[in-house]
Amino acid sequence: MPYEEVKVKQPIIFKILAILSLLTFFGVWEFIVDAGIVPSTMLAAPSKVAILFVKKLTQANPDGATLGAHAWMSAKEAVTAYVLAIIVGVPLGLFMGWFKVVRGLARPIFEMIRPIPPIAWIPLCIFWFGIGIWGKVYIIWIAGIVPFTINSWVGVNMTDPALIQMARTYGATDWQIFTKICIPSALPMIFGALQISLAYCWTNLVGAELLAADKGLGFLIEMGRRLAMPEMVVLGMVCVGIGGALIGIVVDVLERRLLAGIRR
Amino acid sequence: MGASPDRRVKIQVKNLTKRFGDLLVLNNISFDVADGEFISIVGPTGCGKTTFLNTLTKLIPATEGSILIDGKEADPKTHNLAFVFQEPTCLPWRTVRDNVAFGMEVKGFPKDKLEERLEYILKLVGLSDCANLYPNQISASMVQRVAVARAFAVEPDLLLMDEPYGQLDVKLRYYLEDELIRLWETLKATVIFVTHNIEEAVYVAERILVLSNKPTTIKAEVHVDLPRPRSLVDPKFIEIRKKVTELIRWW
Repeated sequence: MPYEEVKVKQPIIFKILAILSLLTFFGVWEFIVDAGIVPSTMLAAPSKVAILFVKKLTQANPDGATLGAHAWMSAKEAVTAYVLAIIVGVPLGLFMGWFKVVRGLARPIFEMIRPIPPIAWIPLCIFWFGIGIWGKVYIIWIAGIVPFTINSWVGVNMTDPALIQMARTYGATDWQIFTKICIPSALPMIFGALQISLAYCWTNLVGAELLAADKGLGFLIEMGRRLAMPEMVVLGMVCVGIGGALIGIVVDVLERRLLAGIRR
Repeated sequence: MGASPDRRVKIQVKNLTKRFGDLLVLNNISFDVADGEFISIVGPTGCGKTTFLNTLTKLIPATEGSILIDGKEADPKTHNLAFVFQEPTCLPWRTVRDNVAFGMEVKGFPKDKLEERLEYILKLVGLSDCANLYPNQISASMVQRVAVARAFAVEPDLLLMDEPYGQLDVKLRYYLEDELIRLWETLKATVIFVTHNIEEAVYVAERILVLSNKPTTIKAEVHVDLPRPRSLVDPKFIEIRKKVTELIRWW
């Protein structure tokens, strides 16, 4: 009995609609700036942004680095922090979900740190790490770890009690139940956190770079402000948007591959 | 309530009592089960069957009394207990094969023995063809067969079944009951089979224990000495079925 996925055909009209919506958006934007409805000191026209984009691919001036260097810096910070958030957050959440002692110890601290906006750490980070990469990594890490911890914890908590009971009747130890039942059963929740945390990381990356950096997409935006170049601000924003969307797609593809057995 | 005198006693339940606060649920239950015996337990709804089973498997501690397997206090970590639940308990992330192997894995069967036994059981239960499918790709009855296969695989000292076929349609149930009997005869397990279906109990069991309403005690014991395969329309079968029905009705 091979299993076949039911394929739902997307009508072509929805694709056209999506393209149409983007075209209209950029069209209206270009128009209101070109026609002078919004002064060009407040908002840059898409055409100007595009020109700057091409220019910034090769030129380091006036902000000190090419677009590629900015993006690479940001990606490095975000990915480093993201990976560290997985490495620390997932095990922490899993253990908090299953072992009462870990929960008792970790939860109060976790709940106290969680409501602090990650960018509130910026001044401390500058004291601790200067304006190098690790200060930003720390801030992004603080932002990214929360979804991993919470989802892993909830995932373990949501394990079907019937499965745990089944394992117990076979004489499974607590550790066996944890590794053989609770962790696999928490996986879909953890994968959900991959997406959420990535969004957190990417958003807070810009926040961190706005205040303390010499390179990066957030820094590009900040330099646009200082140099009174709205097109540079918009360019930075667009790059952040595209970067986030790209990573989202990658995670989505990964998730579908890895969870084939669970979410059929 | 004793097993037939010529058979070796495997399980001894002595003065089993369970209280939840002031509420007495199990009242001083004692009985023996012979090695390789197939016992059914029937009783009115809400008579504490589930509490009874959970106490037997040590999922919840008994207030008083003891359960001995081969003369030693029962313990899921040392004895091979197996439990087939009413609700499906297959692990959705494991294939049929790995689900059947789960109990043996937990028990720490050596790898070669596990593989050998796994192949044997899968073949015996007729699951070889779908061994690599996931639980959500097979039917509800197949899922329950996986659970039964997993239970038999660990060579259980005691196999407890809590209305395993309660949620299946009648035709399938007969089929699976026949299969269960065949497995039991082939693998020689000691089985306690809980059901509220009297016909099912008479069909599968060698001996039926009838429970009373709460606080639960064993009210009667009925021996079913009919040859197998049993016929549902055999007058003797009907007679026993009626007897058990009466016992449950007149509490």
